[in-house]
Amino acid sequence: MSLMELQALARDRKKAGPRAKEATPDNKAALVFLAPWLIGVAVLTVGPLAASLVLAFTNYNLLQPPKFTGLANFARLLSDTRLHHSLEVTFTYVVIGVPSALAVALLLALLLDKGMRGLAIYRSIFYLPSLLGSSVAIAVLWRLVFGGQGLFNSFLGLIGIDTQKSWIANPSTALGTIILLHVWTFGSSMVIFLAGLRQIPREFYEAAATDGATTWRQFRSITLPLLTPIIFFNLVLGIINAFSAFTQAFVVSNGTGGPSDSTLFYTLYLYQEGFGSYRMGYASALAWLLVVIIGAFTAINFWASRFWVHYED
Amino acid sequence: MKSALTRRWAALGVAAGLALSLAACSSADSGSTGSSSAAAAPSSAAAPVTSSAAEPVTITLTWWGGDARHERTQQVIDAFEAKYPNITVEPEYTDWNGYWDRLATETAGGNSPDVIQMDMMYLASYAGRGALYDLSSVSSLDLTTLDSTLLGMGTYDGGQYAIPMSATSWAILVNTDLLGQLGLSLPDTETWTWDEFEDFALSITTASGGTVHGTGPQINAYSLDLWARAHGDATFSGGDITIKPETVASYFQLALDWSKSGAMPTAEQYAETATAALDQSDFALGKLAMIFTQSTQGAAYAQAANANVQLVKIPTDDANSTKYAYLKPGMYWSISSQTKHPEEAGLLINFIENDPAAAAILGTERGIPANPAMVDAIQGSLTDAEKQAVAYAESLASVIGPAPEITPNGASAIDTALTRYLQDVLFETSTPLVAAQAFIDEIHQGIEAAQ
Repeated sequence: MSLMELQALARDRKKAGPRAKEATPDNKAALVFLAPWLIGVAVLTVGPLAASLVLAFTNYNLLQPPKFTGLANFARLLSDTRLHHSLEVTFTYVVIGVPSALAVALLLALLLDKGMRGLAIYRSIFYLPSLLGSSVAIAVLWRLVFGGQGLFNSFLGLIGIDTQKSWIANPSTALGTIILLHVWTFGSSMVIFLAGLRQIPREFYEAAATDGATTWRQFRSITLPLLTPIIFFNLVLGIINAFSAFTQAFVVSNGTGGPSDSTLFYTLYLYQEGFGSYRMGYASALAWLLVVIIGAFTAINFWASRFWVHYED
Repeated sequence: MKSALTRRWAALGVAAGLALSLAACSSADSGSTGSSSAAAAPSSAAAPVTSSAAEPVTITLTWWGGDARHERTQQVIDAFEAKYPNITVEPEYTDWNGYWDRLATETAGGNSPDVIQMDMMYLASYAGRGALYDLSSVSSLDLTTLDSTLLGMGTYDGGQYAIPMSATSWAILVNTDLLGQLGLSLPDTETWTWDEFEDFALSITTASGGTVHGTGPQINAYSLDLWARAHGDATFSGGDITIKPETVASYFQLALDWSKSGAMPTAEQYAETATAALDQSDFALGKLAMIFTQSTQGAAYAQAANANVQLVKIPTDDANSTKYAYLKPGMYWSISSQTKHPEEAGLLINFIENDPAAAAILGTERGIPANPAMVDAIQGSLTDAEKQAVAYAESLASVIGPAPEITPNGASAIDTALTRYLQDVLFETSTPLVAAQAFIDEIHQGIEAAQ
């Protein structure tokens, strides 16, 4: 079925209005086919989710049965200075990392959209970091690149800046290197941008060119507005992913969030509380706070989208 | 038309993204049962087991360590299985970093290994939460052979929940080859003061033109406790942290002074290599001439650095007139309270602790054996570095004081907290006294929350 047909179908359904639910044989068969996935979701996702919500109201050290403590864990959220610091670190990462990655992704998508030769190869090369970016191996590599004797300093040496500075081990630059790692994984957004650019009808550009619009003008008045739904999509997904970032910080700092807590990401702190200090009840409360934060960010995003996202209906 | 689809697509993607991030969080909380443990014993659980039971029994043994330890322990298991053909031992090993996460998860899931290598920092946390078996009721285990002071450090609340495997002591390890190359020789280390130590460390940095630094910092609960005891204080008493903020502050100040004078690497250089593995550490790479470490690590460092090393006493300010030192159990053996085979588990610990065949295989890799008879038994086969560690422990006899209180329940994270606050001090985002007070508060809250 082509996309057009699918859309037509969706439109028809809309026109037909809400229909009473019927348990046709088709639906039953669908349920049977979905069963493996549904069971997986129930056992591996919904079950633990519910359990963690219950645990958030308890004192649970893993070794003894949980003890109900009411809102004590949530009260502690307010006074926990390390938590507040980890929020600061995570917000910095999200606020700088996500837009930077999107800007790079959009820029490269625009370049690749020119239809150069060997496009498929470039696209694959640029996409590669996205596949590798959250892997342990790359995070280990990052330590080596930005260490005191690392590649980055060797490169600086080549252009005449001689330094032994360890970018990973300095509290003022350590977070920057992890943000850079995030920006480097722009590939998946880039591929989505590319797909979005392909959807913009060529006639628009032709008409604009006839009217004497410059390339910049075309970008600002055609590309950007028509691309806003895609930008929005990438932004929302990017923010959600960035908030749950864990591997990079864990490996780059060897699980400490150091130096001096400068890379103490929210999820890393959650992990330290749960598995380092055996405060699983508090860690569960932290997890649910993160859900609320991500939910709030997403809601705000959706609300704000009506002011800048342009749907071509 | 297409944009309607885009919007749907966006909504779907958002939903999927949220679900994924939720799943990522929940998998950390759920304490999903450790899957790797193959502890399930084939024998029926209900039948009372005795050490002479001929029916086959499987027990699990878990430990942390490096490759050398894994190999030696596997050989001990083979020897044990040859001696007791009805018992099969399943090994389960990892490095220190993942060990405690895993043990906690397994214990929570009811899959705890039967025999557990235990550490002083975690003993009270596990014993106090009912996760360990009282070993005084295990008849297959002979405890009379062990040093009584060490044995006392395996008790919690009147129960013998852990058996010390070995003893270790705090020392300075010196790369004498490096000193020779720099044309320096050690001063009198029997009675040296902290000032003399810093001066000497600085002379190393100066002599090398900065390519080698004199010393690393000392940063763990053991050295903090020794510092406290040398100054009439103690880290823990009455099951809580009672060390004075001034004592911790002066301990932090020491490293800050060294870092500023150049006796020690800068905060940044230290932070970069602080978590490196032993063979990638600055000492192994010849960038540090001295480090503070456990005396029994000397052999491993000597091998990694491929150099001659010497163990010397840590400085004191009163010429060793205070009995501040103690031998610390390098590690312990415990039995899980979930075990179905306490007697067989006891047999295994007894074999490791008291059988000369096991001692010969293990050497001093886990530290100097807590059973003095085993130290005599392996004396002949020790390497020079290992002999040094034994001699060093003996040389401390005159400064050995009473045993300390073990780390209380809830304070297991003391080493990581100490490192974190020292970094704050070294990077000067905090002063020694402020960091000391915050450190004490954090440990105190952890202990309180665990009650």
